Amino acid sequence: MRKRLGIISLFALLFIGFVVVWNYSYEQGLEGPYIPVESNSSRTLIPSESGVFRQSENALDFNQMPIDEAHQRSLETYYDNRAYPGAPPSIPHPVQKERDLGGNVCLQCHQSGGFVQKFDAYAPISPHPEMINCRQCHVTQNTKGLFAETNFTKVSPPEVGVNNALPGSPPMIPHLLSMRESCLSCHVGPSAPKEIRVTHPERINCRQCHVPNTVEHDQIEVFSRNLEESYE
Amino acid sequence: MQTTLTDRRSFLKKMAMASAIAAAASMFPGIMFAAEQEKGIPKNANLDWKKGPCRFCGVGCGVLVGTENGKAVAVKGDPNSPVNKGLCCVKGYHSIMALYGKDRLTHPLVKKNGRYVKTSMDEALDLIASKMKETIAEHGKDAVSIYGSGQWTIPDGYAASKLFKGCIGTNNVEANARLCMASAVTGFLTSFGLDEPMGCYEDIDHADVFVLWGNNMAEMHPVLFSRLLDQRLKRGVKIIDFATRTTRTSTAADKSILFLPQTDLAVANAICYEIIKNGWVNNSFVEKHCSFSKGLTNMGYGLEDNYTFTDKPEKISFEDYKTFLEDYTPEKVSKLSGVSVRDIKYMASYYGDPNKKVMSLWCMGMNQHTRGTWINNLVYNIHLLTGKISQPGNSPFSLTGQPSACGTVREVGTLTHKLPHGVVMNKEHREFAAKIWGVPAENIPSKPTYHTVEMFRALDRGDIRFMWIQVTNPMVTMPKLKRYRDGAKKEGRFIVVSDVYPTPTTDIADVILPSAMWIEREGMYGNSERRTQYFEQMVDPPGEAISDTWQLIEVAKRLGYEKQFPYKEETHIEEIYTEYRKHHDNIKHNMAPLEVLKSQSGAIWPYVDGKSTKWRFNAKYDPACSNGEDFHFYGKPDGKAIIWQRPYEPAAEEPDNEYPYWLNTGRVVEHWHTGSMTRRIPVLHQAMPHAYVELHPDDAERMQIKTGDAVRLTTRRGEITLPASINERGVPAPMQVFVPFFDENILINDITLDSFCPISKEPDYKKCAVRVEKA
Repeated sequence: MRKRLGIISLFALLFIGFVVVWNYSYEQGLEGPYIPVESNSSRTLIPSESGVFRQSENALDFNQMPIDEAHQRSLETYYDNRAYPGAPPSIPHPVQKERDLGGNVCLQCHQSGGFVQKFDAYAPISPHPEMINCRQCHVTQNTKGLFAETNFTKVSPPEVGVNNALPGSPPMIPHLLSMRESCLSCHVGPSAPKEIRVTHPERINCRQCHVPNTVEHDQIEVFSRNLEESYE
Repeated sequence: MQTTLTDRRSFLKKMAMASAIAAAASMFPGIMFAAEQEKGIPKNANLDWKKGPCRFCGVGCGVLVGTENGKAVAVKGDPNSPVNKGLCCVKGYHSIMALYGKDRLTHPLVKKNGRYVKTSMDEALDLIASKMKETIAEHGKDAVSIYGSGQWTIPDGYAASKLFKGCIGTNNVEANARLCMASAVTGFLTSFGLDEPMGCYEDIDHADVFVLWGNNMAEMHPVLFSRLLDQRLKRGVKIIDFATRTTRTSTAADKSILFLPQTDLAVANAICYEIIKNGWVNNSFVEKHCSFSKGLTNMGYGLEDNYTFTDKPEKISFEDYKTFLEDYTPEKVSKLSGVSVRDIKYMASYYGDPNKKVMSLWCMGMNQHTRGTWINNLVYNIHLLTGKISQPGNSPFSLTGQPSACGTVREVGTLTHKLPHGVVMNKEHREFAAKIWGVPAENIPSKPTYHTVEMFRALDRGDIRFMWIQVTNPMVTMPKLKRYRDGAKKEGRFIVVSDVYPTPTTDIADVILPSAMWIEREGMYGNSERRTQYFEQMVDPPGEAISDTWQLIEVAKRLGYEKQFPYKEETHIEEIYTEYRKHHDNIKHNMAPLEVLKSQSGAIWPYVDGKSTKWRFNAKYDPACSNGEDFHFYGKPDGKAIIWQRPYEPAAEEPDNEYPYWLNTGRVVEHWHTGSMTRRIPVLHQAMPHAYVELHPDDAERMQIKTGDAVRLTTRRGEITLPASINERGVPAPMQVFVPFFDENILINDITLDSFCPISKEPDYKKCAVRVEKA
């Protein structure tokens, strides 16, 4: 009898426990319609401009890195590796796995950068590490030869040091930003081409002072008013 | 294998962070940046550098302007300015280019038979004076009015107030600042009895947590935001972005919390509920320094002409207040606001933590609000309940948008009810002002006339016949603009506009006066942190342009007020400033003498015994505290700040079946106010050539709208068509759209609503219902 009572009370306790837990979780469910207004969307809601802040937590590290004169990149080698300014650079080194998308294999070096003994160079940092199908755009160069000659001519890249509107004013951004919203990737650290390395990587709100001057550049006319009245 | 790698990485990362923070503390004494800039200036340039405040926003950065052969040619951040410590934003760096637009107004223009004809300055001023006399004779004093802005220098606003209130005898003096920070003013007055922030920008260097209430600081107050980011690198402070739209600020913040429009009222109350429930109230502070009040509710929205409202405050007890807050549990508020319970508690816990110093920052999100006064009160409630106020780093801080919204409109008092010291309703205040002005006290009417929206309604109705508009562009900024534009164009209205470029406002003018802008004349601005800054004339104005102050003085003389306006042309700015200081000659508001302003990068009032008062109401810093306690809220007769019981009430016009979206308007980093200056700076125009409508990507996909597609927005006021922007600068929440208002060729204000806060009379540009279609 006593044994049976024990079993009954054990089950009773379990039942009460279940009711309490169920109630609690039900209440929790009611309490938290956690609707940060954006969450019913499946896509990433990051304005394309947010890249400026992306690598900000590394900004101080960059600031402190000594300049390794012997292994600096220059703008010349930077553009040599691109078909035209703004084109995806090709991969100037052998790759480990031909079948790989890229992803982690590439990002091992290209997410945060660093010196690579094997190539005797600093790995450039990707401005868009969230895109992991690297080799969709970046391909290796397996031959120097051509299948047939081309008439394609490479336009000259934007010049450095001529993009200020006033003496001493912050230079404008002379290139398009698509896929390159994260300024710090190319403009700071030991892998940055020496001509465009900034002195103040800790100022991470880059576009507070530097604004692009290339937005549909040719289509932008001088600001003019829709005039109703004529002024003499 | 995988895990060890991650561990090693995160360990290294932490190590790097720790050493970086340690190094950073020693590395950045401030923002110091001018030396860096110096390198970019050619060695042989023979520039003459002079200091002044920036022309644009209310932050009031110190700039150094380089001139060469009588032209301004370069700008540097002023390293000695405690505001920006040598850093500017893209507008500041290029500000001087705004002087040299090709279409600068250089000669007075008078409208004759539908065409503008060049006249001499004397002739134009004669015409203005005779029109004023004629209007007063025919329609009375209250038929003439002046409308200025927070871009007025202190002497401009002072001359306007003295002429209209003191000499002519009408309270028809208003300013664009009514559209911009009137709710901040009434918020301060109702909670503390005295206007303007108790703290200063130095709070940023002390606070541990920053809560941005509907404030896209990364674009609108970029230099201050850089100071926040700087502190995050240095000290690891937290930045919380509490907003209705995902912006640059949200992506830079440590946490972005989105709420549905208008529900900030409920969330602020929920934070107070949590603070009380968790025992985070600073009881001794509340007991000694706070009282509780409630006011009228269901005030309406001011949509009808001649709408009036006067609040009836009533004392309540702490217990009454607690009972009221029962309606604002995080659970209930969560359903209303779309903010999770967790996020409400998260914000409350920072405000409640006695070891964390919290700074709240806001600007138009809270001020342009049909319950703007209330939401200002509610944020003060949070700071008062926790005693986190008037101490370095504990600071509710209301930012402004115009360079002298504080200095001129709020301190000189160029609003219908205000005098430089006090209000027109108070007999002693009237007598005090009249004595300094040298006019009979009876000259100043005891009744306020029209606030801005009502002033333009009066112009439409014909109650006002003459309006002089200086340094602002109401034909871009007025809400429900079409009505007011049509009203201003009616027969029998005479409009004078003083400006530097043709704008939609000069388009409605009968006389256009060319003004000398910024460093083409001498003047002072007062910024958001009570700092008054002086600038000298650095270059000559073009053509016949003269300063707004001198225009007013010339007209005053023509109206027969030579006695009240005896100033000499060479020294009038100094004379006026010295006279103006007499109005504030007390330890609660003393202004620094001109020599001090000339010798340093501004001074914060009250300026007492040669010292700026950085934190008001705190006995340690503020000599005006006299109750023997640590704090003294001397703006109120009982020395106590008021915690207000203010409920949530819906917006004036909410989305429905016909108009299913919220329409929000605002600014972008490149352009300032209506763009009449910044759009003439090539760098800024090329970066941001026109307005656009931001849509949520889901809404855009449903309607098959891509970036650049034409979109038609329709409200009950009308419709406009403009290009779409999807996932670019900002991302509004679903069923909301955002349009910047700078573009005079895409006038979003044609379709906004002219509802306003019944207490402050400031319109709500952030909320109305709109239909969105692919055009």
